[in-house]
Amino acid sequence: MRVLGLYVERDTPVHKLAPFTKLMYAVTSTVVTFLFPSITVGILFLVLSVFLNTIARVLKHLIALLMVVSVLSISIFLIQGMFYVGNYTPLFSLLRLTFYKEGLLRAVVLVLRLFNMISAFGILMLTTRPSDLIDDLVRRGLSPNVGYVIASVLQIVPQMLSTATRIIDAQRSRGLEMNGSFHKRFKAFLALIGPLVLGSLLEARERALALEIRWFEARTKRTFLKDFSESKR
Amino acid sequence: MGSTEKIKIESLTYAYPFSDKNALENISFSIMPGECVGIIGRNGAGKSTLCLALTGLVPKFFKGRYSGKVLLDGEDVRQISYEKLVTKIGLVLQNPFSQITGARITVYEEVAFGLENLGIPRDEIKQRVEAVLKALDLWEKRDENPFELSGGQLQKLAIASVLVLQPEVLVLDEPTSQLDSGGTKEVFEIISQMKSQGITIVLVEHKYEMLVEYVDKIIFLQEGKMIAFDEAEKIFSLPEIDEYMVGEPIYTKLCKKLNLKNSRGYYPVKFSEAVGILREARCGSDR
Repeated sequence: MRVLGLYVERDTPVHKLAPFTKLMYAVTSTVVTFLFPSITVGILFLVLSVFLNTIARVLKHLIALLMVVSVLSISIFLIQGMFYVGNYTPLFSLLRLTFYKEGLLRAVVLVLRLFNMISAFGILMLTTRPSDLIDDLVRRGLSPNVGYVIASVLQIVPQMLSTATRIIDAQRSRGLEMNGSFHKRFKAFLALIGPLVLGSLLEARERALALEIRWFEARTKRTFLKDFSESKR
Repeated sequence: MGSTEKIKIESLTYAYPFSDKNALENISFSIMPGECVGIIGRNGAGKSTLCLALTGLVPKFFKGRYSGKVLLDGEDVRQISYEKLVTKIGLVLQNPFSQITGARITVYEEVAFGLENLGIPRDEIKQRVEAVLKALDLWEKRDENPFELSGGQLQKLAIASVLVLQPEVLVLDEPTSQLDSGGTKEVFEIISQMKSQGITIVLVEHKYEMLVEYVDKIIFLQEGKMIAFDEAEKIFSLPEIDEYMVGEPIYTKLCKKLNLKNSRGYYPVKFSEAVGILREARCGSDR
């Protein structure tokens, strides 16, 4: 399915949890590691998050996410290890660069905090469909209009991208140069943006009508098709 | 009031905001329950505006100068609450892509969206969505992303999303304009199915050969004015029809060229009737 998001389809107990519960876990786990900046707390929550990701059978996807931030982690170790203001005890030297114990310990806390945040939000993002999360938030008081804006962006942006590709192909077939100097690329961009924006505006009007005829503006209590056990009220 | 008409329009005149020109001018007609009525006319004739007026979106959604009345079961659409209106009258637009709300990521959820908004109990939603998807042959596609369907399937989904609300009147504004012949045939099959279930249908369509096979009457619009409201054969036999450059079914054109009329004195509009008349004419000339 072409939807923005990281959701991985699986049938696990973690997937069945209410999106709001997972959101609360992600927020709590992040906040606690900031409030208690210790290695023990960081490791505790990281182990818990990795355990939950394992149960959800999305560990492989989580590792891919963690790899993305590993570059940042290396720079944290380098900078904190050498330049942390509290550096006092030299630990080792590498290519004439001295690394300090205090800075490296500080870097461990920061990296644990970062990995913990990614792992905790990873549970939410990898096991929750964006539309379910928004539905659960609407059920708990988020304005349906705000919810719709977020949900539709996730759905419609990929469609706009494919429309843009179609427009580019059409412009190319008419001889418009897409590669080359900045000036050429800028001209090509203008040729793309006009039809894309105008087309999107026209579609937006019809989409508004489609919402209207399905009574999106309802003031009555909505029914939510999906039911999460913890969300029952 | 004692009116038995499903839809009654009385002297409807409407102009869009910031426009001096009337999009609709002094339109009056009635549609009986279960009737299937076509709307024809050239671009800018007011066909889509009339559809919006029938569904109450003009003047509820589109403001502007509005006079006259659109009555649905004897009640002015402006006075009917939107909750009641959406279950009484449904609208399908021409672009299947833009009718997908984008709020849901599967076909099943997209169809259920309107019912969720109406607060229908969950079990009933499931029953109604399943019935509609099966009737429109979309059940196998229920877990797919709406945006990944073909044009014909998207239009069927748009119709399903409206039909699930169980409207008594279905208004379709050029539902086949972006579809190939297969998709067009499928949409007309659905229309035929709805007609046999007693749903009142109003249909804007340029594919006249298909349209005349299904409609009981046709409304002919020109520059916002209603030129005629009558049976298809009477409309396409109007002496002045060529002046309006609205076109006609190909069989009618052929019979006009050969000056062949049916027993009622009109040019045939339906394929089977035209074939019969042509065959008869050939036999006559053979003799």
